[in-house]
Amino acid sequence: MRGASRNLGGLPFGGLGHTTIAVIGVALYLFPIYWMFTSGLKTSAEIFARPPTLVPGNPTLESFQWVFVRENIGRYLRNSLAIAIPATVLTLVLGSMGGYAMSRLKSRFVNVALILVLMLQVFPEALLATPMFIIFRFLDILNTFTAVVLATTSKTLAFALVILRPMFRQVPYELEEASRVDGCNQFQTFWRIVLPIMRVPLVVVGALTFVQAYGQFVYALTLLSEQELQPATVGIYSFVGAEYADWHRVMAFSSIFVLPILVVFLLLQRQIVSGLTAGALK
Amino acid sequence: MANVRSPLLYFFLAAPVFYLLALIGFPVVYNVVMSVQEVNLGNIVDFIRPFVGLENYKTVIADPSFQRVFVNSLLFVCVNIVAQISIGLAVAIFFTQQFPGAQYLRGLLLASWMLPALVVGALWKWLFATEYGVVNYVFSAIGFIGSPIHWLSDPSVALTSVTIANIWFGMPFSMILIAAALTSVPHEHYEAATLDGAGAFARFRYITLPAIMPALLALACLVTIYTMRAFDLIFAMTQGGPLDASNVLPLLSYQFSFQQFQFGIGSAIGSFSFIIVFAVALLYVRTLKKEAIG
Repeated sequence: MRGASRNLGGLPFGGLGHTTIAVIGVALYLFPIYWMFTSGLKTSAEIFARPPTLVPGNPTLESFQWVFVRENIGRYLRNSLAIAIPATVLTLVLGSMGGYAMSRLKSRFVNVALILVLMLQVFPEALLATPMFIIFRFLDILNTFTAVVLATTSKTLAFALVILRPMFRQVPYELEEASRVDGCNQFQTFWRIVLPIMRVPLVVVGALTFVQAYGQFVYALTLLSEQELQPATVGIYSFVGAEYADWHRVMAFSSIFVLPILVVFLLLQRQIVSGLTAGALK
Repeated sequence: MANVRSPLLYFFLAAPVFYLLALIGFPVVYNVVMSVQEVNLGNIVDFIRPFVGLENYKTVIADPSFQRVFVNSLLFVCVNIVAQISIGLAVAIFFTQQFPGAQYLRGLLLASWMLPALVVGALWKWLFATEYGVVNYVFSAIGFIGSPIHWLSDPSVALTSVTIANIWFGMPFSMILIAAALTSVPHEHYEAATLDGAGAFARFRYITLPAIMPALLALACLVTIYTMRAFDLIFAMTQGGPLDASNVLPLLSYQFSFQQFQFGIGSAIGSFSFIIVFAVALLYVRTLKKEAIG
C-alpha cells in the first residue's frame, strides 16, 4: 500500500512541504465545523459583528447555558439516545447474525439475500415515511420510540450487513472447527469464538450505526408528533426553521449535539476509514 | 465443513432479510399501491380505497412544480457526482504521496461526512446568511462580489447553495473510497511506465484511470443513491424554496403527503424516484459483481 502509488503525483517539494499544504487544506475544509463551535461561544453582539471575529473576543458559555435552560436540550439529547442506543443494539444483533450467515453458508440463498440487501438499501427514507406512518399507526405504536427505532434500524441494518459480511469472512474457519471438536454447538461457537474475534469490527460498525441513528431526522419528524419525545435533530430544525435565528444559540445547540459524534470519530478514525473501504465497493 | 447446512445459519440469514423486507420492501410496494389510489386523511388507514388508475401520475406530470423539481433533482445529482468524484480524485491522489501525517490528515477530512445531514444544513444556512454570514463576508473582502449574494432566498442561486453544501458533506466519503481503489493499482505498472518515459499525466491517463474506472463507476452509482435521498440538508437550509427553486423529489413528495395530505400524489412522485434509484441500484450490483469476478 505504501509504495504502491509513490509516483502518482510529483509536487516539487519535500515531505514537510506536503504536510504543510495538507494541514492548511484540511483546516480550510473543516473551517465550517470550527465556525460552528466558535459561533456558539460568541455573545449576541459579537455574532453580528462586521468584520466577523475569527476568534471570539469574549468567549462565553451563555448560549450553552441558554440551550440547556430555555431550549431543553437535555430532554432532546435523552430522546436522541433513547432512539440511537436501541437501534444500535438491534442493528448489531441482526447485522452480526446476517453477516456471519452470509460468510459461512454455501448456498444460492446467500447471493439472493445479498442482492436483496443491496437493492433494499437504496430507497430514500423520506419516501418510505408515509407507508411507515401507516404501518405504525396500524400497530398503534405511533409516538413511541419503538416506532422510530424499528424504522431507523431498517436503514442502518443494510449498511451494517454490507460492511460486516467481508469482515466475518476473515475469521479463520479452522478456529470454529476446533471449537466444534471441543463439543460446542453452532450457536456456542458463534457466541464464544466468532463474536469475541469480531470485537473491533463490531465496535466500528456499532459506532457508525450509532452516529447514523443519533442523527436520524425524517422518521423522528414523521412518526413522533409529541414534542416531549422528539430528538435533538427535530429540536435543531424547529430552531432554524424560523426566519430570524439566534445563530449563536443554534450553533451552541449543534455543537453540544455533535460533540459525541466527533469524539467517537477522533477515537476510531483509522478503524472507521478501513471499515468503510472494506465494505462499500466490494 | 460440516455446518454449511446448519438450520441455525439459515435462521441467521433469514432474520435480517425478513426484517428488511417487512420494513423497506413492504413500504415500497405499499407506496406504489397508494400511487394508484385516492388517499386522503379520511381513508389513510383503510385497506380498501378508491382505485384511480394512473390519475395521480397524470396530475403529477402535468404539474409545473414537479417538472421543475425533477430537473432540479437531476442537476443536483449530476453536479454532485461530477464534483465529488473529480475533487475526491484530486484530493485522493494528493494524499497518495508519502509525507508525514498523510494518512491521518486524509482521514480527518471525513469529519464533515460524520455530521448529521440536518446539522450540516443548519451550519451552511448560517455560513450562507446574507448579512452576517461568513461566506458573503469573505467574498466581498476579497473583492469577489460587490453586493451580498442572497444564497438561500434568491431563486436563481438556492439550488447552487444546497449543492455546494452537499458536496462539502459527501466529498470526503467519495475521496476515501477512491483512495482505497488507488492503492490497489499495482506499483510495477508505474515503474515500468516511468522507465518507458511516461510523464505524470500519461501515467495517470493510461494506468491509473483505466485501473480505477470500475471503482469510479460503482462510486458514481453510490453517490447517485445517496444524493437521490437528500432531504435533511435541504429541508434545514431552504425547505426546497424559494418557489421550489432548491426542491428535490423526496422533499416534494414529503410536502404533498405530510403538509398537503395529498398522499396519492406524494406516492406517485415517490414512485418516479423509486424507478431512478432502482435502475441505478441494478447497475451498482452489476458493477460490484464484475469487480468481484475480475
